[in-house]
Amino acid sequence: MPKLKREDWYHIAQKVNWTFSYVSHEEVFPKEIVGETQVPIEAWEEWDEPYKMTYREYVDIQRDKDGGAYAVKSALSKAKITNKLGDGWNNILKMHYGALAVLEWHAGIAEARMARFGLDSAWRNTAVFGSLDEVRHGQMQLYFPHELVREDIQFDWAHKAMHTEEWVSVAARATFDDMFSATNAIDVAVGLPYAFETGFTNLQFLGMAADAMNVGDYNFSSLISSIQTDESRHAQIGEATLQVMMKHDKEKAQEIVDRMFWKAWRLFGVMTGISMDYYSPLKHRSMSFKEFMDEWIINQFMQNIESVGLDKPWFWDQFMYEQDHISHSLQMGIYFWRPTVWWKPVAGMGIEERQWLSEKYPDWEENYGPYWDTIIQNYQNGAVEKTLPETLPVLCSCCNLPICIPDAKTGKVEVKTITYEGQKKHFCSDPCQWIFERNPQRYAGQKTIVDRFLAGEVQPPTVPGLLNYMSLSEHEMGYDPENGAWALQYNKDKNLVI
Amino acid sequence: MIPLSGLFEGDFVAQLFVVGQEDTLNQLAEKLAYHSVDRRVAKQDRPFEVLIKGEVFPGDVKVNEVGLAPMDHVVVRYAPL
Repeated sequence: MPKLKREDWYHIAQKVNWTFSYVSHEEVFPKEIVGETQVPIEAWEEWDEPYKMTYREYVDIQRDKDGGAYAVKSALSKAKITNKLGDGWNNILKMHYGALAVLEWHAGIAEARMARFGLDSAWRNTAVFGSLDEVRHGQMQLYFPHELVREDIQFDWAHKAMHTEEWVSVAARATFDDMFSATNAIDVAVGLPYAFETGFTNLQFLGMAADAMNVGDYNFSSLISSIQTDESRHAQIGEATLQVMMKHDKEKAQEIVDRMFWKAWRLFGVMTGISMDYYSPLKHRSMSFKEFMDEWIINQFMQNIESVGLDKPWFWDQFMYEQDHISHSLQMGIYFWRPTVWWKPVAGMGIEERQWLSEKYPDWEENYGPYWDTIIQNYQNGAVEKTLPETLPVLCSCCNLPICIPDAKTGKVEVKTITYEGQKKHFCSDPCQWIFERNPQRYAGQKTIVDRFLAGEVQPPTVPGLLNYMSLSEHEMGYDPENGAWALQYNKDKNLVI
Repeated sequence: MIPLSGLFEGDFVAQLFVVGQEDTLNQLAEKLAYHSVDRRVAKQDRPFEVLIKGEVFPGDVKVNEVGLAPMDHVVVRYAPL
């Protein structure tokens, strides 16, 4: 007997909400874990996913995708490709795995939260697949780098990073805890699959897979492609949820999107901004981070928010201004504080690389050149100690990143300071301050590394004590893999101007 | 001792530094400049000045006289020519 086609029966399995008789709706769906909106309960029945899939289809497709990715890995594992790809590319891998692999597991829990507490059965059903996706991503992104640990101990941070108090991992957790690990189902649905995945990572993963293919890292390319196809499917949860919210509670929808788009942007600037503008080998760079943002992210995001009826986030001017700054400021910070990360920050400051930066960012030389010139001079004078930190940067009480990105209104770094319950809180930007102040109780207890340092949690209170606190042994901490040799190519007599 | 947040004007990042209650603002400026000047900001043969909430204070005033509290933010810059 022929099986029914999916479209002949799917609707029967899609809508399986029922009226509870022995418990109240509120008991089944407590607001603390579901979230609160002005959307009437019955309106959630309109929740409709555009990408329909059955469990049988899901398992079939995922099995094939796993087979493909693991086959590539198996075929290439003896080739030791990463040895040949250089420190810049390996930094991208280490940063990616360390900041994301374990957090994909957390995303699996967040999707599972929607699978139980989503307010419509179609939403819950789709989130089951999303949860399985994220578990798979966690597994793969721990398994793939594992074989690299014997070549380079920093790859151990694929698993280790999120179990430490290292500052980049603290910043990543601060964002992702807020976005999905420690929030309700509605916030997850808008923050993770929409603001983060639809807004940033879905397209970023396409670009990253292409870049990996371009540099010859077929393993990573196949892994990222395999993940991206999952992301593009489960990211639909965001838009489907927004479609319902926009009819009844646009204000709430806009607020979650604004908040999470900003936090995602901050992290994206670290991960993708630096990778594209400084770590990616020059000969393989297809576009700058700014060009990528403009062509892939901003354009697409604008179309997307327009199609669902949202407005541009209120901080759009600052966001656009930062396109010229975020990667450069954060690269300067990570290079200077290089012992505090789990990769080997290359300077990315060879003469040709610097020319490329000036072509892509016409104001780069004026804004960032002088810092690098001073560093170059110190290397040339043998004053390596002056290229390293003796204190900490002040960190933002919202995004946990160094306060280093200039303000669009003044063109300068502006430290925004408030006192909350007797404690000073510093912010890197108006949006970060806005996020904190709209719900200070949620964020006030989240101590930055500087807060912990001042509270006596870091002993001894020195840079070595801090590295120990962040679980960075001398074999794991970052360093310039060229030891500043790149600086010696500059002409000492020409004031370093190229 | 008081920990402060400081930005040396022209540098790219705000930094943590520590001053004594009896330090003058000139000493405060030197302590912050130590972490910026000749590391990322080019050295100049000019004195520093300290701004608190946008206002320039005389360099011989002491920290305890201007009422700086832990993690207040200050800006240090080269004095205009």
